[in-house]
Amino acid sequence: MIKIKEKTFNEIVDSIEGFKNILVLGCGGCASVCLGGGQKEVERLCVNLNIFFKSELSSRVAKGYTVERQCNITFIEETRSFIKDFDAVLSMACGAGAQYMAEIYPATPIFPAVNTIAIGIDREVGVYEEKCRACGDCVVGFTGGVCPVTRCAKGLFNGPCGGTNKGNCEISSNIPCAWVDIYNRLKSQDRLDNILKIRPVMEWQNQTQRTVIQNR
Amino acid sequence: MTSNHSILFEQDEPSSEQKDLVEISKKVCVEEINAILKEKKHQIATALKVCAHCTLCADSCFLYRSKEKVAEHMPSHKFITSIGVIYKKKGKVTMEELYEMRETLWKRCVLCTRCSCPLGINIPELLAIGRRILRSQGVYHSYSEN
Repeated sequence: MIKIKEKTFNEIVDSIEGFKNILVLGCGGCASVCLGGGQKEVERLCVNLNIFFKSELSSRVAKGYTVERQCNITFIEETRSFIKDFDAVLSMACGAGAQYMAEIYPATPIFPAVNTIAIGIDREVGVYEEKCRACGDCVVGFTGGVCPVTRCAKGLFNGPCGGTNKGNCEISSNIPCAWVDIYNRLKSQDRLDNILKIRPVMEWQNQTQRTVIQNR
Repeated sequence: MTSNHSILFEQDEPSSEQKDLVEISKKVCVEEINAILKEKKHQIATALKVCAHCTLCADSCFLYRSKEKVAEHMPSHKFITSIGVIYKKKGKVTMEELYEMRETLWKRCVLCTRCSCPLGINIPELLAIGRRILRSQGVYHSYSEN
């Protein structure tokens, strides 16, 4: 799922400077699952903001609300009745959710309270690891299930490069070389012929906005 | 606006069982629930009236199909035993009942919105209303307690 991380409190406060009534809007989807922007996190941010406002002897107020998903109009609709009561919204959803809110409510300034970090897996509760960059042209079938776009610092489709160093990447001895992992995985599966095939460079499809229409 | 948020959790958190016991002893705010029910009355009443218990929605739920097709995972069963019960009881439900519904609304449904009803009932919307009511009482699934 999508993984997010809360911005620093100072950055959040700076972004909403000049706005009096703040709605902190949580998301019950991915943001909630990765403990970054669900109801609990919204409650916490609201308390912290209100303490900060009081410390400044300000009459500003932050109120919290959590919808099930900010990337789906069905769940955003319930905010329509009270969105006008707020001067600004702090969205705790991923970038997609925050942008959709901004699209649905063009007159209301929407500020992200979180950074969207990755599409990743759950190592354990609270520990997440990036696995996919949504490049739009998946090659893990040829690379033993290891994504070179995400794991290789150069995003190479044909590797390893000259910088591989005893199983690690040239940029850090703490980072395993993705292509060594790919080699080992393919070797263990007796599929090393895959690594010999030259794969054409990625046609970076993220140059333009992508839309998916599934056949049903 | 009725905030769907309750009280902030303490820093030193008790175990999930202890927390649930404390939470269950809290009182339900019937007025808050009824405010949401009033807003969504037509959708809920129509759905409960229209549902023919045909079970055709069942196969559109991937959880139902993957969980040995038990009734608890059937989309219609999920909304009837959650928002349906809250509506029929006019919001006069206990915190214990809300916690039971939490299991249905979060653990038996991921709100993928793929379930479909041949009679046009918007089941995901009903389940979302159920979650909204539970959230208004501070009852929701915490992913840090998996």
